[in-house]
Amino acid sequence: MKEKEFFETLLSLLVSFLIGGIVIVLMGYNPLEVYEQIFRGALIGKFNLGGTLEKFVPLLLTGIAFAVSSKVAVFNVGVEGELYLGAMAAAWIGFAVKGIPSIVHISLALGIAMLVGALWAAVPGVLKAYYKVNEVTTTILLNYVAQYFTSYLVNYPLSAQKGTPQTPNIEVSAKLSSIMPPSRANTGLFIAIAAVIFVYWLIFHTPYGYKIRSVGTNSMYAEYIGVNVKRTMVEGMMLSGALGGLAGAIEVLGVYGYFLDGFSQGIAFDGMLAALIANNNFALTTVLAMFLAILGNGALSMQRYTGIPESLIRTIIATFILLATMKGLFEIKKYRRVTLSGKNNRVEERV
Amino acid sequence: MWDFLQNIFNYSLIHATIRASTPILYATLAAVITQQADILNVGIEGIMLTSAFTAVSVSYFTGSWLLAVLAAMLVGLAVAGIIGIAHLKYKGDVFAVGMTVNILALALTRFFLNYIFQTNGSFYSEKIVPIPKIHISIFANNEILDSIFNNYSLFEIIGIALVFSLWYLLYRTIWGLRLRSVGAFPLAAETAGINAFRKKMEVILYSGLIGGLGGAHLSLGYSTMFVENMTNGRGFMGVAAMYFGQANPVIAWLGTLLFGLADSVGSRLQAYGIAPQFILMIPYITTVLILAISLSRKIKKEMMLKSSLRGS
Repeated sequence: MKEKEFFETLLSLLVSFLIGGIVIVLMGYNPLEVYEQIFRGALIGKFNLGGTLEKFVPLLLTGIAFAVSSKVAVFNVGVEGELYLGAMAAAWIGFAVKGIPSIVHISLALGIAMLVGALWAAVPGVLKAYYKVNEVTTTILLNYVAQYFTSYLVNYPLSAQKGTPQTPNIEVSAKLSSIMPPSRANTGLFIAIAAVIFVYWLIFHTPYGYKIRSVGTNSMYAEYIGVNVKRTMVEGMMLSGALGGLAGAIEVLGVYGYFLDGFSQGIAFDGMLAALIANNNFALTTVLAMFLAILGNGALSMQRYTGIPESLIRTIIATFILLATMKGLFEIKKYRRVTLSGKNNRVEERV
Repeated sequence: MWDFLQNIFNYSLIHATIRASTPILYATLAAVITQQADILNVGIEGIMLTSAFTAVSVSYFTGSWLLAVLAAMLVGLAVAGIIGIAHLKYKGDVFAVGMTVNILALALTRFFLNYIFQTNGSFYSEKIVPIPKIHISIFANNEILDSIFNNYSLFEIIGIALVFSLWYLLYRTIWGLRLRSVGAFPLAAETAGINAFRKKMEVILYSGLIGGLGGAHLSLGYSTMFVENMTNGRGFMGVAAMYFGQANPVIAWLGTLLFGLADSVGSRLQAYGIAPQFILMIPYITTVLILAISLSRKIKKEMMLKSSLRGS
């Protein structure tokens, strides 16, 4: 089953790159050179590789956040809002708290950001578990509330008064140190990977994780074996929200150094799509998050070198995701093949 | 204080509210019609964006707003067709498909903006012909009547007419009854001889037409230009307003007016240096509260029904 999914994803990828290649040829460029330039621009050189890793971190965390919520059968579309609130919380701790050692400062900022994200995610979680309110709707709506709220904070009480809507810079003690100097990649990468490994261990290798998974796969069975389904649902959402908050905090502490109004522009939605294509498989989500980061970062440098607009690559990515969401697309062809061979068998029998 | 309130809440707010709410209204109606068949169409944002771009380019090249609107509807239909085929035929999760279509629309319009008009960000030209405004000279003499009843863009009026015709279609015709039966219980509908697949495809395509109108209005009526990502979440606001009205077009329309009012009041407050964000939040919070209250009341009702059965 897993192999088949992998195969289908790969096939969607090839088809979308083929379509993209045809468009590139029609525009009068060599598609192989263009694709090579994308991967070169994403992977070769410290600056390029660092840029890719910087983009990878929030995609990974938000993707896994979505996958975690799906494990309790809740679709958390609100990761974007949790990311914003977590980022704001981290920025506030980062510039308002002064004179504490770096490790304490960073842990405090990350911890508060995760707490804020978790509490924010608990709202749609409670509404879903106890009142059966559709979580996709509430999370989409609450994203706007979170975004407007942080926009208010960054424009009025917490503004740095700089002309751009941003908070004051965080203290040096709160900064995550960079790992590839010219780029903005930072130690947040290791924090993110550690967080993902921890969540993976929690969900797949502990009794608590068994509780979570049982709620997602069969809530009636979970109820029967004595799991408090409603509570577990809320807890799963909070875990997901904490990851979203962490993603936002790393963006602020590692990449920006302050909170910028509307900085995310849908990072969490890209992460969510990675999880959706991967069918919430943790390993595949990670691979896809990396892949999207490579394409996103490489497209920018390709635009600089070849003059092909970066939006073409975004189009190819979207086509790829669209094909990958169609779970039945390649199945049907297989089904036909099976029936054909079935017919052949029958013919042989008659002969 | 009184002066200040009068400057914000005066008669011109009515026109401003309708103006701000109409693009959302089209998104709402597109969401309503699919929701009646139990399909949450989050791809309206993408439908509207692509058709807004189409409307501007066709209007620019042909000089006809009517052709532009028709082309926008056709493109809306095509995008909706992609959603329909991906969701219904190839069993893609409708939410994932919708979100992807939004990304696809954003990338495609950016690409063509760059490729056809050689610009980035936005496109404006004298040659873009807008949708005409309706001017009735009887009202022109009175300042207040002129503000309330005059100078509406054609599609602002059509939008309101569309609300009531859709309501009639859904709740007073056989077509609507069948559609709602597909949404409520597809198995029963199939048993009664209704082709649920075709019905669902049909409403997705209709939502493409309505979204296409909305996109054309956005770029040729509401404004006369194309801006990257100019829908700016209006598709989602439409989904929110649809939930506000629980898929009833008339109540959903009131929801869009609430969005429009918040938007107009917000921008007026901003002129006075007051943070508009809290006003802008109101429609979203209201919708969440309405959902929570209505569903918790429904659950309570069900529980009471259960206990009374046990008693008897």
